[in-house]
Amino acid sequence: MKRVYDTLRSVAESILAAIIGLVVAGLILKAWGYSPISAYIALFEASFKDLYGFSGALANATPLILTALTFAVAARAGLFNIGAEGQMYLGALAAVAASLFRLPPVLHLLVALAFAGAAGALWALVPSGLRATRGVSEVISTIMFNWISRFLAFWLVANVLVDPYRAEKTITVLPPSRFPTLVRGTDLSYAIFLAVAVALLVYFLLRYTVTGYEMRAAGANPDAARYGGVRSAKVIVLVFLLGGITAGLAGATQSLGRPPSYAVFSGLPKISNLGFDGIGVAMIGRNHPLGIIFAAIFYGGLQSGARVMQLFAGIPLEMVRMVQGVIVLALALPELLRIFRGFRRRRVELGGER
Amino acid sequence: MYRRFLVGLAVLALLALPLAGQQPQGRVALILDIGGRGDLSFNDMGFKGTEEAVRDFGWEMTVTEAVTAADFLPNLRHAARAGVFDLIICVGFLQADALNQVAPEFPDQKFAIIDAVVDQPNVLSIIFEEQEGSALVGALAGMLAAHYGYPYVGIVLGIEIPVLYRFEAGYRFGIDWGLRKYAEVTGEEPNVGLLWVYTGTFSDIAKGKAAAEAQIEKGAVAVYNVAGPLGVGILEAVTEKLEELGREAGPPFMIGVDANQDWMGDGNKVIASMMKRVDVGCYTAIRMVHEGTFEGGRILRMSLANEGVGISRFLDLLDFIDFGVAAGAISAEERPEIAANWAAMRASLPTWIWKAVDELEEKILAGEIVVPKPTTREEMLKVRELYPLVRE
Repeated sequence: MKRVYDTLRSVAESILAAIIGLVVAGLILKAWGYSPISAYIALFEASFKDLYGFSGALANATPLILTALTFAVAARAGLFNIGAEGQMYLGALAAVAASLFRLPPVLHLLVALAFAGAAGALWALVPSGLRATRGVSEVISTIMFNWISRFLAFWLVANVLVDPYRAEKTITVLPPSRFPTLVRGTDLSYAIFLAVAVALLVYFLLRYTVTGYEMRAAGANPDAARYGGVRSAKVIVLVFLLGGITAGLAGATQSLGRPPSYAVFSGLPKISNLGFDGIGVAMIGRNHPLGIIFAAIFYGGLQSGARVMQLFAGIPLEMVRMVQGVIVLALALPELLRIFRGFRRRRVELGGER
Repeated sequence: MYRRFLVGLAVLALLALPLAGQQPQGRVALILDIGGRGDLSFNDMGFKGTEEAVRDFGWEMTVTEAVTAADFLPNLRHAARAGVFDLIICVGFLQADALNQVAPEFPDQKFAIIDAVVDQPNVLSIIFEEQEGSALVGALAGMLAAHYGYPYVGIVLGIEIPVLYRFEAGYRFGIDWGLRKYAEVTGEEPNVGLLWVYTGTFSDIAKGKAAAEAQIEKGAVAVYNVAGPLGVGILEAVTEKLEELGREAGPPFMIGVDANQDWMGDGNKVIASMMKRVDVGCYTAIRMVHEGTFEGGRILRMSLANEGVGISRFLDLLDFIDFGVAAGAISAEERPEIAANWAAMRASLPTWIWKAVDELEEKILAGEIVVPKPTTREEMLKVRELYPLVRE
């Protein structure tokens, strides 16, 4: 009964937040002389009017579900994992690297995904080890690792995986290891099923397994969990490895499943920020795997809306991004407040110690 | 229910619209790359040319910018699906793959693309011989370094794409030519090297500044901006160095790109610009559709010969001061001061250097000199080997 009430309350909070966000953004639009009504029609028609638009929203949502899970799993265990971005870059490239050799269909895709997950997990290993053994703040270390990964990725694109005929990109992923397109004439590929399946898997893990219980316990009250026999070092490493895998897979969904170019370009223009956007999605989805699926579709829809607002409502991109920013911020606010309130409470209870 | 609500809103919105003016002669969608408006170079040039054409021919325009490269394909598809545009212009090489996919899906839609060849029957490809213009600014930079006794010339590039290879190759060739010219005229053998870096971005202005600072610290007399908006950061680096030296005008200088950027920084910090007339390209494409002479599958080559590329001159400076005013970067009152500063800056160099640049231009136009034009990484590596420009 309590759970049903909590869920309803969360949904009501989100709806209220969305309305506030829409109103505030609308007032700003109005102040600058744009029509909020035609802007919002364009924004929502882009994704929720027909199959074509909805497919676009789902295609945008695919990687975001996975990077949001990276953040959410850690947040559930009381950790701030900002590392999805860097892990995702390497996942995207590892998936491309699987095209250096030839394998039969299906197997090739699985191998590429395994590469991607492994690369992401590997990249998460050092920050998690530092946190588990030396108490190094995972916020700082994951942010630093994002930069290392970014420049490592630049180097890999330009020197190791480079397409010999086109210097601006990596080799193209071989067709057997691509995700086939799900809806013809759109960006949507079968990768969406992978993302949703992983989210369900994480939900199951967190809710119905001992490991998941330990993770949540460590997040809810680390001292009580330790007292109860939970090994916090193990939990930290597990949480990071799991997050690394989902982030790596997020990268793979882009290099293996996003037309037209199944490759990573120099400067990473197609995958940059998917990890950071995932944090916003996790916030909107209340760090809950199922909430994240809906949040990602909504967020993906906003991204498609950017296009239609520019094309048919004549609103410049800067304004469009302002509108999106306000809506996302409003929606993320309830969870953000909850997290900080939790931190403060814990700090007070433990006398300043985290 | 939801649909009905939307329809209701749509009707309301239509009623609320002021009565539209007369029907436009045509409609163009301008699909910009990541970075978009405000770069004062590549994308703004596309906007400028389109805007001029729209004004001249009574058309209407819509602009769409990409947030990430994942937007390229859906941006194009959405515009094409709408079926209301007489022409869709893609500005930027990176959109080539997306256009290659979308063009056959909409065979009746006319497209144009800047900076790439997309071989489809409904696409006009507009490409530039950047190596020719880059050779001219390269020659200037080489002679500048020798003249002022600086050890290096610099270049800051964006993402390593074949388009930028043409800039780099032309620049290298030009520097080498300029240094030999200097030796020939003065009898002194200059010892000048090239500092070059690909920053991997066309949007991160801070990276442009950091890269230029490093080159200027090592003694680069001029930094060639081949990364669109990063020029803003490069100019900051130049300006800060000049403040440190207690000077108003360069050296060190920036060399501008795409637009005539000579007006930036009060008119005395950008010694010259390699103009790449993206505006002329867009204008021409719209004119062709307007006049019914548009032919898909064609390549429009913009070179020194048809003034598609070139080194900046006084005539276009005034035009581009207006461009800067329109972009809000400077105010109209600054115009005379900028023009005067610019003239003084150019006059501070010996006339023979400017004449030498003209000479190189004439020789390229006459076909006596062919500037290397690499298309693959291998060919680029060969050019680097041929013109290593390492200081002894």
